[in-house]
Amino acid sequence: MTSSDMDYLTIALPKGKLFAPSAEMLAKVGCTAEDLSENSRKLVITNEKEKLHFIITKTADLPTYIEYGAADIGIIGKDVLLEEEKDLYELLDLRFGLCRMMVAVPEALKREKLSDYAHMRVATKYPRIAESFFHSMGIQMEFIKLNGSIELAPMVGLAEIIVDLVETGRTLKANNLLEVATIQPVTARFIANRVSFKLKFDRINRITEELRALLEGVVTP
Amino acid sequence: MFLFMKQHEFVPQVPYGTRDFLPKEASQKRAVEGALAQLFANWGYDEVVTPTIEYLETMTVGVGNDLDQHMFKFFDKNNRILALRPDMTTPMARVAATRFKGSPSPMKLFYITNVFRYEQAQAGRQCEFYQAGVEIMGASEPAADAEVIALAVESMLKSGLQKFQIGLGQVDFINGIMEQSELSLVQRQQIKHAMVTRDLVGLGEILVKSGLSQSDQTLLKHIPLLHGREDMLKQAYSMVTNDKSRRALDNLANIYHLLENYGVSQYVDFDLGIIRDFEYYTGMVFEGYTAGLGFPICGGGRYDTMLHSFGMNCGATGFALGIERVLLALERQGIDGTQNCKGVYIGWNKENLVKAIKQADTLRDSGCSVELAVIPESSAQAKESQKRKGYAKLVYIE
Repeated sequence: MTSSDMDYLTIALPKGKLFAPSAEMLAKVGCTAEDLSENSRKLVITNEKEKLHFIITKTADLPTYIEYGAADIGIIGKDVLLEEEKDLYELLDLRFGLCRMMVAVPEALKREKLSDYAHMRVATKYPRIAESFFHSMGIQMEFIKLNGSIELAPMVGLAEIIVDLVETGRTLKANNLLEVATIQPVTARFIANRVSFKLKFDRINRITEELRALLEGVVTP
Repeated sequence: MFLFMKQHEFVPQVPYGTRDFLPKEASQKRAVEGALAQLFANWGYDEVVTPTIEYLETMTVGVGNDLDQHMFKFFDKNNRILALRPDMTTPMARVAATRFKGSPSPMKLFYITNVFRYEQAQAGRQCEFYQAGVEIMGASEPAADAEVIALAVESMLKSGLQKFQIGLGQVDFINGIMEQSELSLVQRQQIKHAMVTRDLVGLGEILVKSGLSQSDQTLLKHIPLLHGREDMLKQAYSMVTNDKSRRALDNLANIYHLLENYGVSQYVDFDLGIIRDFEYYTGMVFEGYTAGLGFPICGGGRYDTMLHSFGMNCGATGFALGIERVLLALERQGIDGTQNCKGVYIGWNKENLVKAIKQADTLRDSGCSVELAVIPESSAQAKESQKRKGYAKLVYIE
């Protein structure tokens, strides 16, 4: 199974938080399959009637599947798109999964201006986003890439600052971290491979338009 | 890592983004390149070979700065910066503007060669890769553009591909809309950047903040979706009022009409959302797509200002086809491009080498491909060698 099969549309969905709302939204426009679940043991879930394949990938890998054309379309957070910088179509802001990319420091380390943090160490899962943010502010920092539990880094002296994705800010508070700058809000995006978007244009465009109609019927939060 | 190191074996590596072509792939590559060279010659194109290394300043003439960071660069003895050519269009323009100054135009040139770009390597997309392409220099007419597109279609057919599609656009369609609007230079660049990076969400956000009228916003937002056959062209015509955009659409209609006469229009769709990554395109642009490949297999367009940057005031158009991408597409679509050309294996036992040489000579003269054993073999050994090497026939001389 690859996207070289012109009759089928391959849809990539991310594991984790975005999976359920993504699958639900696609189902509303007729893109679903029996036993489509995050815990499925099957790697490829197929709906023969609608000629659809579903694959479920790790979030950070999803844009790669799309860029290579291993999947035609998919849903992924803007944070991953910014960090991975892949060559693909970003077709639609699906508006769910709203979080914000932000900079936080321990309360004790709070300074007056952002530039006062220059040359400190930044722990983050998103080194590319963090670097381009500080670079755009003209501030040079040292970046430490971590894969999770970013809040731990300042507590144990691995870093002074963190750049992370937060939804409510409750974890920050619990760890005595103070948000000092917002980089940008992040939501789920509907994306497509650049060749699939041309070769399977009618089908992909129809889904995009149906999703758009669905969104416009919904009151935005 | 430690486990692997225990094997005490030194395995030399090739540099990042480069690869070896082993016999099977090399012969497929040779077959495709041979077919293309023949095709280009049949269409009246002359081959040009240029140096692999050029001065950086030459390679950045008329090209945006984007390409600069993707070049392999180093110094010569006098500390001038050299670069491995990142594409062939610039060297061809240099050749045309210097070596062919004053020759009758238009010139039709072709190349089949390797080019180098720092990219994130993946299948069909290495840092060193092979391209076949043509350039027509000194012609601004739609006839030249149509010939280039028709030749691109023929190239894919000759390579063995059957199913592919060409998307045809015109950069002046967008340029016309932007010039007519009251957008600042920064806003225009933002809009172009969003289109080039295919970020339609970002495009929408820029447009909302742009202060453009609702209808202009809708139009710009729709450009990446303007996709279809001739009826789409008519629809696009009614959407714009400025001359430049309308001339761009007329230009596409003219080219398309010629493509119908070339008998290749069934492979061509209009797609006004195509803006190629390079900044040097000034007119029609196109990309070729085939199933199973996540990126275009070929691309090209009109680049009238580049020759001007080299001091030669004339129009030019051309295209390039990625050889590895063709090979990958053939493989993924299950098309075997190789002719099974392995013919005869000649084995011999002691003292019969002279006879065997004669036999090999005769067979080769008759057009057979022949491998002659270099050491004496028993009949059983010879049979084994023939099988192992994959020859269709065995001649054993005793």
